Amino acid sequence: MFVLTSLSFSAMVLFCLAMDKHRKQVLEQKVPIIAVRFFRPIAWLILLFTTCLSVKQFGWSIGISVLFGALTVATLLLILLLTYRAKIVPQVAIALSLAASVSFF
Amino acid sequence: MKWFHTWVGLIVGWVLFFMFLTGTLGYFYQEITRWMEPERPFIEHKISNEALLDIAQAYLIKNAQGVDEWDIMLPNARDQNLRVGWRKPPEPGKKRGKYQQTVLDIKTGDSVESRATGGGRLLYRMHYRLHYLSTKISYWIVGFCSMLMLLAVITGVVIHKKIFTDFFTFRAKKGLLGWLDIHNVLSVIALPFHFMITYSGLLFFLFTYMVLSTNLQMSEDEYSEMRKEIFPRSAHLESVNQPKEMLAISHLYQQVKNTWHTGELNYVEVFAAGDINAQARFVRHETDITYNPEDEVMVSAVTGEIILQKPKEYTVTGMIHNGFFSLHEGHFAGSITRWVYFITGLIGTAMIASGLILWTTKRKPKQLKNPNGPDFGYRLVEQLNIGTIVGLPIAIAMYFYANRLLPLEMANRLNWEANVMFISWATLLLYPAFRPAPKAWYEQLNLAAFVYMALPVVNALTTDKHLLNSISKQDWTLVAFDLTLFAIGSFFAFAAYKYQALTFEKKPIKKVINPRDVIADESLLPLRPMNKENG
Repeated sequence: MFVLTSLSFSAMVLFCLAMDKHRKQVLEQKVPIIAVRFFRPIAWLILLFTTCLSVKQFGWSIGISVLFGALTVATLLLILLLTYRAKIVPQVAIALSLAASVSFF
Repeated sequence: MKWFHTWVGLIVGWVLFFMFLTGTLGYFYQEITRWMEPERPFIEHKISNEALLDIAQAYLIKNAQGVDEWDIMLPNARDQNLRVGWRKPPEPGKKRGKYQQTVLDIKTGDSVESRATGGGRLLYRMHYRLHYLSTKISYWIVGFCSMLMLLAVITGVVIHKKIFTDFFTFRAKKGLLGWLDIHNVLSVIALPFHFMITYSGLLFFLFTYMVLSTNLQMSEDEYSEMRKEIFPRSAHLESVNQPKEMLAISHLYQQVKNTWHTGELNYVEVFAAGDINAQARFVRHETDITYNPEDEVMVSAVTGEIILQKPKEYTVTGMIHNGFFSLHEGHFAGSITRWVYFITGLIGTAMIASGLILWTTKRKPKQLKNPNGPDFGYRLVEQLNIGTIVGLPIAIAMYFYANRLLPLEMANRLNWEANVMFISWATLLLYPAFRPAPKAWYEQLNLAAFVYMALPVVNALTTDKHLLNSISKQDWTLVAFDLTLFAIGSFFAFAAYKYQALTFEKKPIKKVINPRDVIADESLLPLRPMNKENG
């Protein structure tokens, strides 16, 4: 569950960084447009991977519903961070993925 | 469409808030019951399933004589106590006997007498079986409200024009815009949940709401046939009145362990106990939303052999129906998933609350300009908002207080716990009528903070199941319960602090500004830009 939430969080951060107005909130330096183009496809790939992981762990029926739960929690966290502590979003994303990969192994 | 969404939401908003909040608590109803029955012993670590089964069987042989159906519920993450249950032989003239369940003290092997309490079950039953009303009327009210909720969810998606561009947008500190954003955000991030919970909620009382179609289209037999399709039962042998000594259930369990390759076990049902036909069905935690036949193993209690069972036969429609029920109730959820359910439920509750607040916030500037003060409708909505959004949580806390403070030997104690809750709620609904709205908000938020923070303290004063003891016994359910109460209290305290900071500190500044500026200022209030943006 923790792994799923962290992965959903990373995907959501990428979705959010793909939008101009949020990128300005989060990052101070400019990101090359080429890189930004890749954010959305990568986010979808991560989501796809999360879905596979969830289905593998819980089976088709529970896996999908759990995934929606993870997405909800991750998005709530991201929106709160964006509003109150936008600058630490990248750090949280990195820390969460690290913690998730540690708990995964 | 927007007009429709607004008024549909307003008409049933408060009932929906009640249903969502009590329903959300329902995800933890076993944990709540556990807290409300402090007589039950602490969790026992390091005891094997076999030992537990032996204790339960010894108790049942001694106390449930002449009964041929036993249930043994093993301690699990939600309920740390060993329980046994059995159905008493039917009284003359009745078809089925009364079902009795009791908690066992593992150390002594005796049953534990708990105080009379409605527990979490009463609280969660309220969300579809509105406490004081008759069953039929409640179902119809609940159905009506759910139907409007479903409409509100659908129209909400339609009128939310920028669902993707505003996906992450929450402009706090911007008054009306902030409330609109929060309503949108809370709706969108948990949209699958909102839709699922409302739709499946309607399915629950299918046969009440669509009574005409079942009554007119099918005979009694066809109806019972259909119910069998939707809720199939698995077969078991009946007693043939030939007494025979059973093997120890813990011995039978060894076979089951070999089948499952895990040491988990949720509950055991024994049929035809003490008879030559005796069988035991071992059930583990659900591994599928609909049904997984491998979660159950039937063993003959006389020979100890595994009896191969024909899996329950679900039709496709039956499976979908069953799947929606299971999704609604989250039976399959482990402890973390259960928390996710709880959080999404709270998101739904907060979504309804923000919608109600949005209604008043939007009309506020215009109403305040009214020479005779705000009109009746506006004041009523504001009053109901304060009394429900903050009042209901306080009333629920009062339910917990009643559990701890009402005398144990009181007559009708169980009913009075609920009465205390509803009396408090009624008081808090009336209270804002006598206070200016901002004061009422602030005072009730403070009261909520106080009652929730004081609950763990009262718990410590009245029982031995308090935080210190439960930490030292590592009874994490009890620890989590007390800490959650404290967290809710802190949340309300924070809300009260924020409310004060945002509402009252503005006032002195306003007084300094001369009247012309005030008008200029009010025209800048987000009413107009908001109308343009969201049409």
